[in-house]
Amino acid sequence: MLLRKKQKQDVDSDILALTKIVGTKSILHYKEDLLSYDCDGFTIHKAMPKAVIFPKNTEEVSAAVKYCSDRNIPFLARGAGTGLSGGAIPLNNEVIISLVKMKHLLEVDYENRQATVQPGFVNLKLTNSISHKGYYYAPDPSSQYVCTIGGNVAENAGGAHCLKYGVTTNHILGLEVVLPDGEIIEISNNGVLDMPGYDLLGILTGSEGTLGIVTKIIVRILKNPEAKKTVLAYFDNVEDGSQAVSDIISAGIIPAALEMMDQTAIEGVEKGAFPVGHPDDIEALLLIEVDGIAEGIEEQIDQILSVCRNRNVREVKVARDEEERGRWWANRKTGFGAMGAISPDYLVQDGVIPRSKLPEVLNKIRSISDEYELRIANIFHAGDGNLHPLILFDSRIEGETDKALKAGTACLKACADAGGSITGEHGVGIEKKEEMRFIFSDEEIEAQTAIRDVFNPNNLLNQGKLFPTPSRCMDIKKVIKETAVTK
Amino acid sequence: MDNHLLDVASLTDSGRRFGNVSSKIVYPESEDEVVALVTEANDTGKKLSIVSGGTKLGYGGTKSDYDLTLSLKKLSGIIEHTVGDMTVTVKPGTTVTELQTFLGQYNQMVSLDPSSPSTATIGGVIAANESGPKRLKYGSARDHVIGMRVVYANGKIIRTGGKVVKNVAGYDMNKLFIGSMGTLGVVTEITLKLRPIPKHKSLVILSVREEALDNLKAFTKLVQDSLLEPVSLELVTPSMAKRLIDRDEYCLLIALEDVKKSVQFQEVWIDQHKPEEVVMTAHPTPDYFWKTFSELAPNSLTDVGEYTHGVLKIGTKNLDVFPLLQECVRTHHEGRIKVEASGGAGHGLSTIILSGNDASVVDAIQHFQSFATALNGYAVVKHLPSELRKELTIWGEHDGLFKLYKGIKYKQDPNNTLNQQRFIGGI
Repeated sequence: MLLRKKQKQDVDSDILALTKIVGTKSILHYKEDLLSYDCDGFTIHKAMPKAVIFPKNTEEVSAAVKYCSDRNIPFLARGAGTGLSGGAIPLNNEVIISLVKMKHLLEVDYENRQATVQPGFVNLKLTNSISHKGYYYAPDPSSQYVCTIGGNVAENAGGAHCLKYGVTTNHILGLEVVLPDGEIIEISNNGVLDMPGYDLLGILTGSEGTLGIVTKIIVRILKNPEAKKTVLAYFDNVEDGSQAVSDIISAGIIPAALEMMDQTAIEGVEKGAFPVGHPDDIEALLLIEVDGIAEGIEEQIDQILSVCRNRNVREVKVARDEEERGRWWANRKTGFGAMGAISPDYLVQDGVIPRSKLPEVLNKIRSISDEYELRIANIFHAGDGNLHPLILFDSRIEGETDKALKAGTACLKACADAGGSITGEHGVGIEKKEEMRFIFSDEEIEAQTAIRDVFNPNNLLNQGKLFPTPSRCMDIKKVIKETAVTK
Repeated sequence: MDNHLLDVASLTDSGRRFGNVSSKIVYPESEDEVVALVTEANDTGKKLSIVSGGTKLGYGGTKSDYDLTLSLKKLSGIIEHTVGDMTVTVKPGTTVTELQTFLGQYNQMVSLDPSSPSTATIGGVIAANESGPKRLKYGSARDHVIGMRVVYANGKIIRTGGKVVKNVAGYDMNKLFIGSMGTLGVVTEITLKLRPIPKHKSLVILSVREEALDNLKAFTKLVQDSLLEPVSLELVTPSMAKRLIDRDEYCLLIALEDVKKSVQFQEVWIDQHKPEEVVMTAHPTPDYFWKTFSELAPNSLTDVGEYTHGVLKIGTKNLDVFPLLQECVRTHHEGRIKVEASGGAGHGLSTIILSGNDASVVDAIQHFQSFATALNGYAVVKHLPSELRKELTIWGEHDGLFKLYKGIKYKQDPNNTLNQQRFIGGI
């Protein structure tokens, strides 16, 4: 029945041509099949793609790209679709090139500490595939159990442990890329550092899929640290918690992770899937992890404990074992989703501030919350000043979605005004295009689009992302009004 | 505009020998002056060469007739340092030593260990993407630079990145300028991420005779696969070890930097696991050693021309540093040329210092370029008199990416105003 209905829909010549390239089992083009591709992790905005194709190798990607390019058909790449800023949303009825079938680990070279993966390979699978030899892949976004390394490259993904080990760009050694005209290029094809020439690895990583489609990635792998210790500290006063963060950094300790949650966030995670019994009346908690040579860690833990005590900590404890450590991290890493337990909808923001401005900006966020009459939970990477205000709202209430978006923008403005940035790891996508103006002048934005023009001169690849456009503001507002927010 | 033309004898002398400077040198002291100079040059079709400390005149470029040289040497000093944020904003003409000395007062450092830190400036180090043995643990300029101000060829001031340690807003434009040899803009301000100075530092030196080099290689692999966290795993040839510590053997330099207990634990581990043939010593003054090490390679200020010197930067896979250095030793033993080399077995970057006559240096460079290519790596000439550079492909062969390099250069500097012909493929 369903099959017959599908066959009745028109199949245009582009679909037939793309089907020829990837095969009938690797293309979706009926409306009902495309529905789940109308947005990514940023669900406020939706648009339908022309088709979704699932190439199995670089040559198929290249052929499909060439086909689209020759016919002026917009296209974009998609990984697991976990992006939080709308980078994979087909604003222009794009052909979506999904890389999930290119999901293999191609090679691990332990001696030279590198692994070669296809873009659809899931982040956590890499660590799981090499952990038996004591190695891991460092960037660990919260969605690492599902997000792909190709997507991580596009977004320059971070994670809780990038305070010590750096974000994705610090771990990329080589790339194979299909340029928007279909040409296949290789950059540092065996992972050798500092290849002569401009740093194309650096400019491609974090370009949010606007410069090329990555089809192979060489990443650096690291040896597991000998030991890890995790500390949980509860503060009655959020200022004390923030000061403890500064004190730890000033003491010359570089923790592997230094995370903070405020009272509203704690309420959420305790009602979520992984409660650990945090008290409900504290203003802030810190989750601090140090790793390295076992002999050296004790001393750092002692220092951290004494810093916390000097800052009037109510309770501070060291994880007894891996099981307890795992529970604390599960509670933190599922923090965003846990907000669903205390609010029908939520909007995640991603500002960055200089660490020393933490108390000031948290105060500002509190006043934004009051002003917009929306609760804002804060879960963030305190060690590197990367804030994630979670704006809680109810889309069923007329006008509240709009209010939440405005409150989010106000939080980003507060970060920018404190000398910070509008995104630390989630990317600009479509979500923060206009907010780019908080930190860059028109000329600085033009300097960046000039680079895009070198790679993507016809702007067919992931058009309308990352950079503000003069006419955009009105359109988006209109769409938001028409779109119900769903979780 | 007052051009601040000063007595710059040493720079013009080395300029004659190494190129990349004009007979007319200006020393802007502010960003406004840089803007005025660059704009005027760009509008009138003048060609500018950009220099800073003057240590890298022998690095890239074959053009000898620039209209004007813009030196950033007087655009120096710390602009902003926020201790708690562990970031510093500095002007490009600040020498690496000045910067580290300043930060040292706060127990912080920029974790870069390039050569010639007392004369090389942070602007030059970033433009050439210079790094040293400790890159293994600490990374390179591309890991530390978080923001810049750059004067584009059209005189526009463009800020890249920001002042926070984590930032993915827009393209990561900082990366374009790192290693671009000043061909894309004049950097007037740099913001860097800092690290605390390690609480304890040690340097373990393992030495072996040539016949036992395989054992040292096996041990290097063992260290890499162990729980140790070495800051460097730098292999040096006997000829270089002779100069450094008066020992005519291959040496592996393992820097350990952490809290004292951790460093001591690692020293003991190395002592217990090292192969029999290896002699282990702990250097009494690691900082002093690394300072000496950083001054081994000649640069355009120190190379006064008794011999002809060439310096190569070679990139290979990490462990290919072993066959590369063995080839250096073999060439050295042939007797036509002195070859000293060091290479990071944990990051794959090597430096080869050649000393001989013009012909032997050029021959050796070509030899090592093909040797590196055969290892699927590359060799770049970092230092050589300009006349000899003209005989060589100093950046190695360029590949399918050149079209993109040209596109980037054209977008940022369409008139070829800045450092014309300094970079790969004559960009």
